[in-house]
Amino acid sequence: MPAIDLLLLAVVAATPLLLAVLGELVVERAGMINLGIEGMMLAAAMTSVVAAQLTHSVVLGFAGGVAGAAAVGALFGLFAMVFRADQIVTGTALNLLALGATGFVYRELQQSAIFSTAAPRIGRDLVVPLAWIVVPLVLALVVWRSMFGLRLRASGEHPAALRAAGASVHAHRWAALGVESLLVGIAGAHLALALSSGFAENMTAGRGFIALSIVIFGRWKFKGALLGTAVFGVAAAAQYALQASGRGLPFHLLLALPYVVTLLILCGIAGRVRAPEALGRAE
Amino acid sequence: MAFGHDPRELLAILASGSVGSRFAIEGTLLKSVPLLLTGLSVAIAFRAGVWNIGAEGQFLTGALAAHVAAPYGLAAAIAAALVAGALWASIASLMRLWRNAPEVLTTILLNFIAIHLLGYAVNGPLQEASGKYPQSDTTAAALPTFGATELHAGLLVALVVCILAWLLLYRTTEGLRLRATGYNAAAAKHAGINVDAQLVRAMAVSGAIAGLAGGVELLGVTHRLFERFAAGYGYSGIAVALLAELHPLATLASALFFGALTTGAGELQRAANISATVATFGQAIVILTLIAFGRMRARD
Repeated sequence: MPAIDLLLLAVVAATPLLLAVLGELVVERAGMINLGIEGMMLAAAMTSVVAAQLTHSVVLGFAGGVAGAAAVGALFGLFAMVFRADQIVTGTALNLLALGATGFVYRELQQSAIFSTAAPRIGRDLVVPLAWIVVPLVLALVVWRSMFGLRLRASGEHPAALRAAGASVHAHRWAALGVESLLVGIAGAHLALALSSGFAENMTAGRGFIALSIVIFGRWKFKGALLGTAVFGVAAAAQYALQASGRGLPFHLLLALPYVVTLLILCGIAGRVRAPEALGRAE
Repeated sequence: MAFGHDPRELLAILASGSVGSRFAIEGTLLKSVPLLLTGLSVAIAFRAGVWNIGAEGQFLTGALAAHVAAPYGLAAAIAAALVAGALWASIASLMRLWRNAPEVLTTILLNFIAIHLLGYAVNGPLQEASGKYPQSDTTAAALPTFGATELHAGLLVALVVCILAWLLLYRTTEGLRLRATGYNAAAAKHAGINVDAQLVRAMAVSGAIAGLAGGVELLGVTHRLFERFAAGYGYSGIAVALLAELHPLATLASALFFGALTTGAGELQRAANISATVATFGQAIVILTLIAFGRMRARD
């Protein structure tokens, strides 16, 4: 496979992952760690297919995906902020919730037209250039160059200072969750409606966890996020190419490769990594 | 009710399918054994403040090692399961110490790697001699069973581990150090506890118990390896441990509860054709209900 095709494949296939990385980056900058991002994306994949099938519209399918992700995001915010629950436990529970709920609905409706016929496919894939160029630029400007971004970062570094300045930590964290829900909703929809032709059980296959790892690898910066996703994407695309060529490692070991690469990426954080100071703590 | 089922009828099936007959109770006990062990594994790790979300992967590597070591006898198979689980978990604790990689992510990633490693094993080197299905041949050793029942000695093993885990956490200085580290690592360090060593030990013990769970499930119940071997027992262990508030003895009751839920859900699938994934959904609801009422608060 020529190198340019490989690169193109890498960029397209890693698009949902990139959107998840960008969303999680914003949430972690605001001081929360959302392990439930995996369940968020899985729920979005399912609701996008249901919405697209019911309305016969790809655009409304994407809207359905965002709604699904937002539902999980709202639950996370409710438990993390209102109930002050541990964020790791909350995220783990939400992943189980999404896995159980989507698995249940899928098997109940497997015979119906929603899941047994191909979902409407995306025509011109605008999501890819949006995710790789527009979204990172806009987010970087907002997070690093605006008053709102300064406050959002303050709620992740020093919530008490933000409060003293008269702004609401919770409002900024909810806003960050909103951004994440939007991006991860699009990611789930893109996975189901652009990269696949419908929903499959547990189809996110750990992309949320890989996204969390890339946020750390990128040291909570947008440039790092893009670079980390690109490195991962090329590795994953190389795996597809190997698979297609039928040479090299046995199929099942190739399947393990993305996770091994992510482990290596996580171990590549040489030196001191500084996370947002208040990450994972209740306000 | 959505999807055309009568909820009262479903509850009746759930109850009769889990505790309604001798056969059902036997099924519940059988399911409780791996849940008790993975629950203890998670409880010990979380008590020490170590986020081991990797019981699923440790369960699988334990079972893989037990299958490979089984020709050398039952004791060798059990020992292999313990060691393999501990080693697999230790990859995460070492990555944390050396490279500062958070164990909450590395343990999850190791789950995916273990799943595909098992997939490779049962499609490759460990596939049955006939080469027909992606599963292994019958394991060379097996745990003894009680009389005419399907209950196996793993039940006793799990009970012993339960008591040992309680003794370790609450009756030894080692356990005090573990709990102190989990409660407040900075204070524990100040009191002269080697916090890094606690992390490594807690992860190894936790992994060993999850590995044992996999070995016991193989040697007592399935007697073969196949692709979907773990069936979520590792993740269920998190729900089991949290419901027990991370206390080893309470984990026993919690494991029985979730064992009944899982068995009842299996019956729902057979009798009412409802996906057994509702059990996963049920676990999530239990955890969310617990944390909504103030268990597992975030640190300020």
